[in-house]
Order: sequence, then C-alpha cells, then structure tokens
Amino acid sequence: MISDTAIQHLIDKLGKENVITAAEDLLVLGYDSTPGLHATPDLVVYPTNSEQVQSVMQVARDYKVPITPRGSGTGLSGGSIPVDGGIVICLSKMNKILEIDEENLTATCQAGVVTLDLFNAVAAKGLFYPPDPGSQKISTLGGNVMEDAGGLRGLKYGVTRDYVMALKCVLPDGSLLSTGGKSVKDVAGYAFKDLLVGSEGTLAIITEITVKLIPPPQDKRTFLAYFDDIRIAGEAVSKIIAAKIIPSTMEIMDKATINCVEDYVKIGLPREMAALLLIEVDGHPAMVTEEAEGVERILKEVGAAEVHIAKDAEEAASLAAARRTALSALARVSPTTLLEDATVPRSMLAETFALIERLTKKYALTVGTFGHAGDGNLHPTVLCDERDADEMKRAHAFYDELYEQVLAWGGTVSGEHGIGIAKKKYLARQIGPGGVAVMKRIKQAFDPEGILNPGKIFTDGQE
Amino acid sequence: MTDKKKLGNFTSENAPEYEDVLQCMRCGFCLPTCPTFSLTGRERSSPRGRVALARAVSEGKLEFTEAVKEEAFFCLDCRACTTACPSGVRAGEVMEICRSQAHQFFPLKHVSKSFREFVLQKMLPNPGLLETSMLPARLYQKLGIQWLVRHSQLLKLGPEWVDKAERMIPELHPPLRPQLADVIPAEGEQRGRVAFFLGCIMTLMYPEVSRQTVRVLTHQGFEVVTPKEQKCCGAPHLTEGDRDTTKLIAQHNLDLFMALDVDAIVTDCAGCGAALKEYEELLEEAGEHDKLATFRGKIKDVSEFLAEQGLRTEDLKPVEKIVTYHEPCHLCHAQGISKQPRELIKAIPGIVFREMEEASWCCGSAATFSLKYTTESQQILDRKLENVQATGAELLVTANPGCHLQLAWGLKQAGLKQEVVHITELLGMAVSG
Repeated sequence: MISDTAIQHLIDKLGKENVITAAEDLLVLGYDSTPGLHATPDLVVYPTNSEQVQSVMQVARDYKVPITPRGSGTGLSGGSIPVDGGIVICLSKMNKILEIDEENLTATCQAGVVTLDLFNAVAAKGLFYPPDPGSQKISTLGGNVMEDAGGLRGLKYGVTRDYVMALKCVLPDGSLLSTGGKSVKDVAGYAFKDLLVGSEGTLAIITEITVKLIPPPQDKRTFLAYFDDIRIAGEAVSKIIAAKIIPSTMEIMDKATINCVEDYVKIGLPREMAALLLIEVDGHPAMVTEEAEGVERILKEVGAAEVHIAKDAEEAASLAAARRTALSALARVSPTTLLEDATVPRSMLAETFALIERLTKKYALTVGTFGHAGDGNLHPTVLCDERDADEMKRAHAFYDELYEQVLAWGGTVSGEHGIGIAKKKYLARQIGPGGVAVMKRIKQAFDPEGILNPGKIFTDGQE
Repeated sequence: MTDKKKLGNFTSENAPEYEDVLQCMRCGFCLPTCPTFSLTGRERSSPRGRVALARAVSEGKLEFTEAVKEEAFFCLDCRACTTACPSGVRAGEVMEICRSQAHQFFPLKHVSKSFREFVLQKMLPNPGLLETSMLPARLYQKLGIQWLVRHSQLLKLGPEWVDKAERMIPELHPPLRPQLADVIPAEGEQRGRVAFFLGCIMTLMYPEVSRQTVRVLTHQGFEVVTPKEQKCCGAPHLTEGDRDTTKLIAQHNLDLFMALDVDAIVTDCAGCGAALKEYEELLEEAGEHDKLATFRGKIKDVSEFLAEQGLRTEDLKPVEKIVTYHEPCHLCHAQGISKQPRELIKAIPGIVFREMEEASWCCGSAATFSLKYTTESQQILDRKLENVQATGAELLVTANPGCHLQLAWGLKQAGLKQEVVHITELLGMAVSG
C-alpha cells in the first residue's frame, strides 16, 4: 500500500485531478490487450510534463513503491500491468507534438502522442513516419518505443527502433537522462537510446522522443492474392524476397482470419480461400512498375488462385485497414484470443504454416493465423475460452511445442510484442542463462531497488 | 420472467449476459471514437473501461456502485464504439442494461418514482394523452421534462438546463398523427405499400417534417398506411433503463404492424428505427422468432428504404443549395446506414454536397444527455459546429429529431447562418407542387 504522505506529495506536485484513487478508475487501469492479465494499482497518476514524471519517480524512489508506466494500454505482452500494485503512471496526457523539423527531417513529441496523430501531422508537411503498429489509431509513441513496435510496413521500412534518434527519460533514481540527438551519426559512448528502445518500461520512463522522418513514396501498387493452400502463400513470400523485391507490405491471413475480418468489414474478402496475401510495393513510379510486374509473375508461377490489384488508393487503404482489425476480429469467435508472436527466418515460412496446421490438429484447437509474412513474423492465435481449463492447457502446450521448433529454426519468441509477463518463460530458452544474466545486470545498474515495472521480462527464479 | 442465474453483483432482473462483457479483448480500437473518452481522457469513461466495469460487477469484483451508475448514464449511447469494434462488442447496449440495473440499485424516492412511472408508463405509451394539449408548458410535462426538473437533484442537473430546454423547443405546430389519413394513396405508378411508424417527437415537435416524409413517399409511388394505435417505439424507456415497459410497448407495436399487409415499415426517426430493429433481441424470451425476424426485416429508415427502392428523379426540380450532412448516431452506428442518405442527397438535381469532417461524431444531444450534462454536451456540440462551419454549407441535413433540436439550437446560439433540415424536407423541396 502507498502511504497518505506519499499521496499528498503527489497531489502537491501534480494537482488533485491528476492523482486518481477511486476504485473504479484503478480497476480499469490495470489491464492492456493481453488476455487473462489484470492487476489493480494502488494509485494512478497523469503527469502533464517531464518535471512531473520526475517528481512521481522521486516519490516512488523515496517510498520504495513499485511504479509501472502506461500509455493507451494496447500492449500484447502485459508490459503495462502493475503486477505488484503501486503506482501506474499514465503518459496519455503528455500528448503534444513539440516540433516537426523540416530541415533535419525529424519530429519531436511527448511520449503520450498517438502514433497516427504523429503520422498525420508529418504527412501534412509532406513527410513520412513509417512505423504503423496494428493499434496505431490509439497506441502511443512512448509505448511503441518501449516495446519496439513493428507494423505492416516493417519489411521495407523497419520498425520503431529504426526511427528513434533521441530520447529524454527519467531514470529510477529520479534523475533525467537525455540520449541521442538530431545528428545522423553519433558514436559518443554507449548507445543508451538503443538500449532503451524495446526495454519494456523496465529501465526508464520516456518523456520525449525525437524520430527520424523520410520523404513518402511517390507511388504504390497494392495486390491481393488468394491461395488454395496456405503453404503456397508461404512459398510466394520466400520467392518474392529471393527475387530481390522488397515490398513495403506483405501480410498474410488464413481462412479463419479472412472470415472473421470479413464478418466485420464486409468488403468481399474470399471466405472459401485457404489464405490471402496483401502485398504493396512502393517507391519511384518506374521502380513500382518493375517490382509490380515481378510480384505478379511470381504469384502466378507459384500458383496463386487469384490475383487482384487495388483500383485506387482508397481501396488499398481499406484493405490495409481490414488487415489491421485481424486480431480484434478473431475475438468475435470466442471469449478468449491467445495471440502469439513467433518469428522465423523467411525461408522457413511454408514449414511454419505446415507446423501450425499439424499442431492445431494435435491439440484439437481452433487457430487463426495472420501476420507480417514478409518479416517471417506470424501471429498464430488460439481461439478459446479462458473458463475451459483443459482447452487452456492444450493451448499452452501448442505454443510450447511451436516455440521449440521456432527456436530450433533460429527464430524468436517475440517479433514485436515484447516479453512482458506473457512470454517470460520462453526468454531463457532463446537467449540462454548467460544472456539472461547480462540482461539482469543491466537492469540492476539502472534500477538497483527494482521499483520500475517489476515482474516483467525475467521469471521469478531468474530475479 | 424465467428464472435466471444471478450474475455476480448484478441483480437477476435485466442483467447483462456474461458472454457480452467477456467478448471485449481490450484492443482499445473504440477509444478514439468515443466522445466521452475524448472529453475526459478517463479510461472508465471509455467503452473499453465501461465494459470492464460491467465485467468486474459480473465477476463479483466490484459492487454496482454510484460510479458504475454514473458511467451508465454518462455514456451517450451513440454506438460509435459498436461501429469501431472488430470483436462485435456492444458497449452501448451493455450500458443501457446497466441503466436498468441502476434503477434497481438506486430506487427513486416515492414521489419521484411515481412521477417517472407516470411519464414513462402512462404518457409516452399513449399518444392520445400526449396530444391532448399543445401548450408548450404542457408539452414539457408530456415529454418528461418536468419530471427532469423535479429530479434535477437526483440526476445532478445544474440550474442552467431548464433555460436550455426551453430555448431548444422549436415553434410548434399541431401534432401530425391525428391529421394523417389511415391510408394515403401513391402518386403515379404504384411501387408498393408501406406502413409509417410516426415517432412521438416527430409528431409532436416536427409534424411538418413527417408530413414531408409522407409526401415524398407517396410522390415516389408508395401507398402509406399509418395505424393510429401505434405507440412510442420504447427508446426513451430503454434510455432511462425501464426495460419492462419497453417490452410491453414493443409487443404491442409488433402485433399491430405485423397484422398489416405492407412491404415495409418506414420511419423518419433514426432513434425509433434503431429501437424497432432491436425488438428482436428485446423480445427474444417470448419466443416468436420468425415473426420477430420478419418484423426486423421490414423496418426501414426512410433513407434506407428510398435508396434501396431507387429514387424516381424524373420530375424532381433542382434545389440550388450547398449542403452538408450530419450522421445521426442511431442511423450510422446503430443501424449501419451511412451511404444511403448521401446517395439520396446527391441524387437531387442542383445540390452541391460538401462532406464535413467527423460527420459521424455525435452532436451531444443523446436523448436527455444534453440536459443532464450541459457542459459536456456543449463541448461535443462545439466540435460538431466547427466542422459544420468549415464546409460553408447553407443547409445542414440530418435525419433524427434529437440531433435536429440540438444542432438547430447550437447554430442559433453560435449565430451561424446554416439551417437544419431533415433529409425528407430536403427531398420535399425537390418535389413539385
């Protein structure tokens, strides 16, 4: 529990309206989008500037209270869940875009800015911020940086990490740290910003972010290809990459996903097909023409059942929007959707689909698979009911076996969602005890008291 | 009533289904579409937060507290979250049910209770009583506004709303219902026969709008049947959490309209249309599944109906106006009718149509919300008016009396020149004679 003096201290610094203690509020600020996870904080604060974040951290430090950062609560590994109670620090009111620097092609914003708002603001100035996680309409930049969020454009444009140039943050000892800058090159000492990106809120709380911007592509073409067999879709992806074509987007949906998405968007997706690929090539018009021809040729060679080209930008946008709803749409079918984030080298895609199919049968489950096929990043999602203990057991066995093979192929247990709470037990399997030990020493160096976002990344035995 | 198992801390009467709250996977796609979350930034005032509260009550983790009641009524029930939700969660309906629960947990004191019952159970279901006097002062009573005055404390209403309510009431004409012939023949080649569902607010406050609806329908070749025994659709009761009276009214209207030999049941009130289309769920316990499904299939908003049938444009005269369109929540979100009104508007010769930003964002009217939460309602309205103004339109077209009242009042307050018209009034301008 948190003492009254600590609460009063926070009220003095942040104002009464930004310190929340009502049970009903606390109850709804202890979850994110990860199924089955919920914890109740003792208190929630909404800082409006960096100094207030610092004040809150100092209170947490002085009173030794756990503190967990939160943006919009759209995470998929439980990173913002206050497992030990304490303070949840919500950065959603720090939502100002501070600068769009057209000479240096950078944008600087507070951590609570919504991803799509930044995208739109820079687009209005003829610039492009590519990272586009599925939840971009509501996810915050701070959350994106902490989880190193990916998205539909990762294949060609990379992920959040590839755009972060500078960070301002508050360390667990209450001090401020500023790392990186607008210089394109910077090798002064350890690259703290690269360590902080993807640190899942366990090393520092980010207050300000400077990202790199690029000129938008002049042209693009969007394909929708249907397949009778999902393995042929996997083969198409590998062949397109092998042909040295890097589309901006290469997304896959299996039959179950197609049907759930179509139930929601009603745009005429093919319900009978085993899989579809959404492929987009973009860039200079001449290059787009050449790559589009290549993609079309390969799709026909491998035996796609049908290939369609979006007639205009509006149709292309509606297809991408439809794809973004995949996970939530799968939730129509069952009360619980267990989503995973397995990522394999792209040459192993067809094998991975075959494996998922085999394991689905073996454990008698309903699974919908979608994901960023071009990145080898798949989201096999078990559609289940958390009230059915036996089904949940089978679901976990399914993932255990899947991950074992994914790791054997040189893949990773998390492509873009993070370890958080949900995947703690898989981490050691991937990086080994030596790797975990180094990570823990880093954590110890930043946060010796262990107050910042406790209970994440490492299992108890490792702590 | 069938015996139901008690769900957590809800009472067994009119409780939400556990499946409905479990359906939310908390992706947060609803957050940017929710007007109340946009105002407060408070998770509990978002659809995701409200469903989480309902889930906590149903899992016994939270009592049905004052705050849960507050959120149930602070929800605009605009259904924007339903449109945005890929998982099919209906947070608005869950909140409607919680309003009903709120009345069970926080019963009104005796006098207040009998007055509320008088308005909801006696006056609204009985169109004859509603129409006996048309003095505006009496009208307030009939619409339950006096009830609100008496409950201003209970509902935490500030003093400013009485003034607002007074100024919102449009110039009144005699109610339309007694004036309409039971059957009005089609003009030209007859294309079908429709029943007209005439909403209470339409007949009392906008009789001239509904007159245009009938005129347009007959002009388009439809014979219009208006059964006089029809009652209120039940939406006000549902909104106020009186589900039992809603069910009685619904059964009456269902039987009445299903006895008619008509191709469709048309309404020009988005709120009524949405309520009528929900009879199927509301009355499912009664078991008349085929009848309910047929009824559901026949209910058409006038825009939906005319767009489906195709507008006969041969003898429409040009309307030289720049117009924009505000989507009533109960049309676009509750009924999924969005492109049809635009098709009709664009089909009128002479019209210049200008799309506004955020056309489907609530106007802040939301039944009695605009009176209960005057400040918040004004903030939502201001956002809407800015978008209207930016279009430079001369006419603001909409299709629901609640929006009509709120927008007309807002524009007048702000000193803006736009005039609000119902879509059938606009069509009426194009109909000769």
